[in-house]
Amino acid sequence: MPNGASSSAAAIWAILRKECRSEWRTRYGLSAALLFAVTTLTAVSFAAGRMPDRTDVLAALLWIVLLFAALAALAHSFVREVEAHTLTLLRLLASPSSIALGKLIFNLLFLGVLELVTVPLFLVLMGAPPPNWGPFLLLLALGSAALAAAATLVAALIAQTRGRGALFAALALPLLLPVLAATVSGTRAQWSGGSVAPAAKLLISYTLAVMAVSLLLYDHLWEE
Amino acid sequence: MNGGTATLTARRLAIAVEARGLRHRFGPRVALEPQTFSFGEGGVVAATGPNGSGKSTLLRIVAGLLRPSGGESVVTLDGRAISAFDRRKVLGFSSPELSFYDEFTTSENLEFAARSALAALERVNLAERAGDRVGTLSSGLRQRLRLAFATLGDPPLLLLDEPGSHLDDDGHALVERVVREGAGRGLVLLATNDEREWRLAERRIQLRGRDLGHSA
Amino acid sequence: MTLRVWLFVWVAAGIAAGFLWAPVVPVLEDTTRVFYFHFPAAIITPVALAWSMLHSALYLWRRDLANDDHAAAAAELGLLFCVAATVSGSIWAHSMWGSYWNWDPRETSIFFVLLLYGAYLALRASIEDPARRARLSAVYSCVAFVPGLFLIFVVPRIYFSLHPDPLLNSRGKADMDGRIMACAVALVLGFGALFFWMLSLRVRLGRVERARESVAS
Repeated sequence: MPNGASSSAAAIWAILRKECRSEWRTRYGLSAALLFAVTTLTAVSFAAGRMPDRTDVLAALLWIVLLFAALAALAHSFVREVEAHTLTLLRLLASPSSIALGKLIFNLLFLGVLELVTVPLFLVLMGAPPPNWGPFLLLLALGSAALAAAATLVAALIAQTRGRGALFAALALPLLLPVLAATVSGTRAQWSGGSVAPAAKLLISYTLAVMAVSLLLYDHLWEE
Repeated sequence: MNGGTATLTARRLAIAVEARGLRHRFGPRVALEPQTFSFGEGGVVAATGPNGSGKSTLLRIVAGLLRPSGGESVVTLDGRAISAFDRRKVLGFSSPELSFYDEFTTSENLEFAARSALAALERVNLAERAGDRVGTLSSGLRQRLRLAFATLGDPPLLLLDEPGSHLDDDGHALVERVVREGAGRGLVLLATNDEREWRLAERRIQLRGRDLGHSA
Repeated sequence: MTLRVWLFVWVAAGIAAGFLWAPVVPVLEDTTRVFYFHFPAAIITPVALAWSMLHSALYLWRRDLANDDHAAAAAELGLLFCVAATVSGSIWAHSMWGSYWNWDPRETSIFFVLLLYGAYLALRASIEDPARRARLSAVYSCVAFVPGLFLIFVVPRIYFSLHPDPLLNSRGKADMDGRIMACAVALVLGFGALFFWMLSLRVRLGRVERARESVAS
């Protein structure tokens, strides 16, 4: 039937556009997530205070803030489909892989916007020394990709359970631990003048592995 | 029919729907008693039966939205079997469970599905509401939108679950038109207990409810 | 029937031998005994996890709920062994390293496994329909394989570990007494048999429950 979203690249694009447009119309996803991220950040910086010379602690705190912001935000796009009963419509229009990939790219954009606000604010509020921008941004990008890849699949799973949002953090955390370990050690390294290459390699291989497994599993996401 | 490139319009495609011992249960609850049937030559088929007898379940399985717990459903187009994964490409589906995005207008919802959105809206006399957000529509108008969605791209197989629900007299005339047009292109499978609708069908599948004390 | 009596005798004899027959390692003194619980439990934990993941993948492939029973039962029992290994290891770490928890790579990976088992069982608990529960938890289990591999193979190579490496020792680096090794191996076999016996009980129970439900409806 649908020739609008038939071929998979077109389908992914159509779903991404739909997500962005829907977010733009309602805005409750992004505004809630931004508010949550800023709240977490405020709590952390208020409790810990400025610590310009403790870059090891700063690296950990930064990624904890980003992890929590992601955990609060990334389940939203699937849960909304289930709550509005629009999943049947979506499934009639595109293959599970296209749906998941469209949402994955949307989640990645979503994280990008969150970081655009959170990271500069973090650096200012915590009195952090200026990062080594190139490696720092690389880590942010790779870390976000890894977060989004793992979290999108978990979000699709928990949307079909009774607990929904409540389960998301518990299920996503084990999958995100390697990401947290790599990004924190990489961020520490760039502040102390070390190389971020090991962390970057770990993140890239982890993201690729999760993506490869996910592509095999997406087809099993919905069967009812 | 002989080879040739299949265009999904005008020509009546050889679409066939078959069930072999098709059954489903949700956990311990039986949702569909084993069904075996075969419809090969187009036209209209109605599935009737009491609430809970599995009409909707049957349609969802044929649409490839639900994996049956036993047996199999086969859909063939010009002799080619279509896997459950690809069914969505050859069928139109409407069901009371089908919801649209409230924050989008009717035409935006259909554009998301296909480019011929306006034509489909015209078919259900909804063209003048093309710019209205779905969240503002009444239940009858939403049902018309479902029918428009099902007929997008003129699919050879139409699966309509209670197509007349919430509709007024005009709406029922419209259902009749949609069903007849669908039968002209291929096969229409209805799930309904409404006489106005199953009278349109040449054949019927009678589903018996089991959980509701109808047993002999 | 008699098999499980023999299993009981075997495990009891292994533990008794560990206390009465095998010597203690000089530095470790009496904490050597922890090894007889800790080592077998720590060996069974990843075996249970692998078993659970294998059956999850098989479920997605074949859609047989018996595979799901295996996956769920192995996860539940794995959690049991994992807690046993974590607690015994932590007690040992307290007396040897001076603190219960150090985020040693081994501790990190066992903690990850604990989280994973917890998450998997929480996911199962939140889905009512058996087919949906089996499908979604199998998908989760298959994805979790990736961080599992990373934490087992990548993390211990990057970070330095204080954890004694029994496999290295057995290859003759710092020779472990043959009697200690014998008890440990005997108990690994015993714990392994225990695991598979409990697993088969749990799988049979699952089958009976399903049969009963379908008769009742």
